[in-house]
Amino acid sequence: MAIPVTVPRLGWSMEEGTFLQWLKNDGDDVRAGEPLFVLEGEKAAEDVEALDAGTLHLNSGGPRPGDRVKVGEVIAHLAAHGEVLTPSQNVDSKPVPALAPPAGPSARRLARSLGVAIEQVSASGPTGRITEEDIRRHRQSVETVVPAVAVRNEPVASPRARRTARERGIDWKSLQGSGPNGRIRERDVCAAPARKTDGRLIPHTTVRRTIAARMVAGVTQAAPVTLTTRIDATNLVSFREQFKSTGTTDAIVPSYTDLIVKLCAVALRQHPLLQAQWREDGLFVPERIDIAIAVDTDGGLLVPVLRSVDQLGVRPLAAQARELVELARAGRLSAEQMRDATFTVTNLGSLGIDAFTPILNLPQCAILGVGRIVREPTVVNDQVVVRDRMTLSLTFDHRIVDGAPAARFLDTLRRCLEQPVPWLVP
Amino acid sequence: MKTMTTGLDQGRLLHLYRQMQVIRQCEEQLAKSHQRGLIHGACHTYIGQEAIAVGVCAHLRADDAVFSTHRGHGHALAKGMPPAELIAELYGRATGCSRGRGGSMHLFAPEIGMMGTSGIVGPCILQAAGAGYSFKLLKTDRVAVAFFGDGAVNNGAFHEGLNLAGIWKLPVLFVCENNQYATEIPFNYAAGSPTVASRAASYGLPGFALDGNDVEAITAVAGEAVQRARGGGGATLIECKTYRTRAHAEGMGDFTYRTREEVEEWKGRCPIRRLRQRLDAGIGGPVASTVNGNGHHSPDAVDAEVAALVAEAHRSAEASPWPDPATATTHVYDESPRPSPAPPLPPGSREITMMKATHEALAEEMAKNPKIFVLGEGIGKRGGNFKTTEGLYDLHGPERLCDTPICERGFVGLAGGAAMTGSRPVVDFMFADFVLDGVGEILNQIAKMQYMSSGRIKMPILLRGCIGIGHAAATHHSGNYYPLYAHFPGLRVVVPSTPYDAKGLLKRALNCHDPVLFLEPRELLGIKGPVPEQEYEIEFGKAAVVREGRDATVVALAGMVRRTVEACTRLAARGVSVEVIDPRTVSPLDSDTILQSVHKTGRLLIVDEAFAPFGLGAEVAARVIDAGFDDLDAPIRRLHGAFTPTPYSPPLEKAVVPQADDIERAIRALLEE
Ligand SMILES: Cc1ncc(C[n+]2csc(CCOP(=O)(O)OP(=O)(O)O)c2C)c(N)n1
Repeated sequence: MAIPVTVPRLGWSMEEGTFLQWLKNDGDDVRAGEPLFVLEGEKAAEDVEALDAGTLHLNSGGPRPGDRVKVGEVIAHLAAHGEVLTPSQNVDSKPVPALAPPAGPSARRLARSLGVAIEQVSASGPTGRITEEDIRRHRQSVETVVPAVAVRNEPVASPRARRTARERGIDWKSLQGSGPNGRIRERDVCAAPARKTDGRLIPHTTVRRTIAARMVAGVTQAAPVTLTTRIDATNLVSFREQFKSTGTTDAIVPSYTDLIVKLCAVALRQHPLLQAQWREDGLFVPERIDIAIAVDTDGGLLVPVLRSVDQLGVRPLAAQARELVELARAGRLSAEQMRDATFTVTNLGSLGIDAFTPILNLPQCAILGVGRIVREPTVVNDQVVVRDRMTLSLTFDHRIVDGAPAARFLDTLRRCLEQPVPWLVP
Repeated sequence: MKTMTTGLDQGRLLHLYRQMQVIRQCEEQLAKSHQRGLIHGACHTYIGQEAIAVGVCAHLRADDAVFSTHRGHGHALAKGMPPAELIAELYGRATGCSRGRGGSMHLFAPEIGMMGTSGIVGPCILQAAGAGYSFKLLKTDRVAVAFFGDGAVNNGAFHEGLNLAGIWKLPVLFVCENNQYATEIPFNYAAGSPTVASRAASYGLPGFALDGNDVEAITAVAGEAVQRARGGGGATLIECKTYRTRAHAEGMGDFTYRTREEVEEWKGRCPIRRLRQRLDAGIGGPVASTVNGNGHHSPDAVDAEVAALVAEAHRSAEASPWPDPATATTHVYDESPRPSPAPPLPPGSREITMMKATHEALAEEMAKNPKIFVLGEGIGKRGGNFKTTEGLYDLHGPERLCDTPICERGFVGLAGGAAMTGSRPVVDFMFADFVLDGVGEILNQIAKMQYMSSGRIKMPILLRGCIGIGHAAATHHSGNYYPLYAHFPGLRVVVPSTPYDAKGLLKRALNCHDPVLFLEPRELLGIKGPVPEQEYEIEFGKAAVVREGRDATVVALAGMVRRTVEACTRLAARGVSVEVIDPRTVSPLDSDTILQSVHKTGRLLIVDEAFAPFGLGAEVAARVIDAGFDDLDAPIRRLHGAFTPTPYSPPLEKAVVPQADDIERAIRALLEE
């Protein structure tokens, strides 16, 4: 079997060396102990001896004098007399140099002029090409690594004072410090009058902060308007009752939310602008209908998304919805499962609410609030009869659609809900 | 060169031949493996010197001890290490003789008496002397061997070790392998006298100069030396003149300091070929009539058998698993299970000094444990400069209370070797300053031994001495040093401040299997305190809450404890309540007790006589910031001795040590923060 000739480590920490020359020629017979090639390490050039005998076979792509070689790299083989090397033994084993990432000429020019090493820039675009934007961003991130020393005129407090303030619900920034340089110490916190209202402080969780930010955005960055309408849900109730009475125990009975989500998709297909999104240069209209459902969990409100709702049958939709709700309650929803909804349904009916003003979840255009179903006297054909009734509350972004088209969408939805069977039965 | 005729029979000779071949072929394999990147660090081969290890080890039993150097593969193999364990160690594998912790320069197999090779030139000489001390003390006929190069003989360890072995008649062979170069420095440049063997006379030892490539001559002389040692005749120095025919280490250049011709000439004097020629010539009887230990009848058969053995060893080493990274920090300290410690005893009413308290602990343990012996200057009949061993010489005699010449490195290194081989040395430095000459032995050998041997060698050794500033002792009798020792893994560092603690901690030290630095604040030795008459131990790593308080915590050590308490008593009169904690051991350091106190008080001051940089204050502060940041209501403050050597004149001396006034001021300032 051919014995590989490798680049040895000369000295303690050499990782690479410079190949200087072969002392034998390709095809020469080499005896053990004979000098084979010259390698320059960290300190000096050394003759590297052959430790085995054999016929020298230089690798086709092996090093030329002056090339850098890595310790452990195979640069030749010593074969027994007459032994034929297999191709795999004779391939160029030089490590492939890392390819420079693709970048256009303008990006390269910019990189040169800014002195940015293009190999260190990561591409942000889907194609993996480095853009001028990427280069500017890289430059900025490199430049801002060393923050300027900020002059501090805010109050400072000891770690212990801050902890005590937190526990007592006191804002330490409002206190006068008695320590050196005005440092607030625990004694200052203890001396501060406790807040008027007795109570405790629940520290913010990440979920709470996220919800807060999104809710504020929903009322400050859009132009929300809420429309309400009362509908007759009698047929919807009886449709669902049929599932209940005929289903085996383990079959899923769709919830009202499931049915309403499905019918929202029907209405959205007819009124696509209700899921349009405001962008600086125009309205973006998503192709798919992905509807989020609001789920109340111990950790706060979560909004898992049902995808391509218009393509889903009622039963699969109900099954998916149930799984998502369970994941949400267990705190195991992935960020992916909550991303990019085009519309939201929120149902407070089970909590006894009739009507409310849902807050938009940007960039969505609209959100539907579902109230409770109540059996109540209603006039039908001038007769007072008992019917199942519910209120729908639609909040929409008036930047994107006007009142009339939003009202038309809501009316379409009303009609679908009052006569559900044609839409729900495939 | 003429080969000495020894009358060894064919079977013995063939066995020697085989042992040399095992070494040679292993080394050749390792040289190849180094080129192929299978060896991750250094590799010093023994090629050309095989006759020495083989000739000497031919006389050794598994319970005899070998201590060796960076060029130790041959010694390990000759002592009986299977090639697979050696090769696996160099490949960094879990099945290596040191479980992958050592590599070429740290080979351990205490089970067969291979007590380790060392990356430091010299200490093996002292350790072998120490093993000799153990063997003599324990009344065995075991012997110890140190193998070392010509580079080691101009080192203090050689002088100190041979002298100690000479005056105490220790059962040791000092085998100098004079291969004529220490790396690239020729011996005839480095030494004023042309031979090593002639130096034996200076130590009253027999010395022999041998042809190191003549295995028969070495076997003969080593056999006599081993017999002399076993019979109580003391140590022997054997110089074997030889040559390494490969570079100092694999991958290093060879021809800047010696010529190709010289190397070729010595290759011609190969010890293996030489014995082979003698065997072929029929020396020792006809070839077919005897069978060597492995049942092989001819040198050719031996060659083939060894080649197969080494090939298989290489294969199995390469197939062996890597060590589990989770084990990278095990065996720094002894890990054998221990019964849970008894609860602390109440101090009682008897009051004695710290000096008396540690004496009581040592006397009790020496009476119980015959393996304990004390080394030091003036600790014999005189009873110790600080009365540490008063009266014990009369009880236990000169072997257990052994006065030493003034050679701190020598007797510390020797004690390390003794601890490795079954006895329990107590080294009494008198002043801790004196041992700085031996610190390499403490930090490089004693502290690392349990780890390097993956817990197979224990290091029950107590190193004690006085520390601290006072009574115009000036700078060579005043150092503190515990921050230095506490920096290193593998050591326990004890600094008691009361007689009660001193006794309990010394008892613990004499029963644990780790090396303990027991540093006694000299200014406290004569101060009395309550000490129970019963036996008791105090755990390492358990701080004492000397005084309870609410407003601030002060961590103080050694002499600073009393001064802090004095300052706190004054402050208490003004209504300030300070908690004082004495860590008692610097390594391990009891963070928990300190953190609990800071949790209560929110303020921390560390008072320490030693220097501030990288010291106790910095360490305690860092730990509290890590684990108790939110407890802090003020910056942590440190009060240390001045960063200066210790001056003599009393007013100068006073100015460099924190006084009770300084401590009081520091506490007040802390409360102002
Ligand atoms: C105390 C110490 N100083 C320096 C070294 C670096 N060093 C490693 S081996 C060596 C040469 C030792 O020569 P010698 O003792 O003759 O042994 P040889 O290598 O010839 O077998 C030196 C200087 C070391 N390991 N330890």
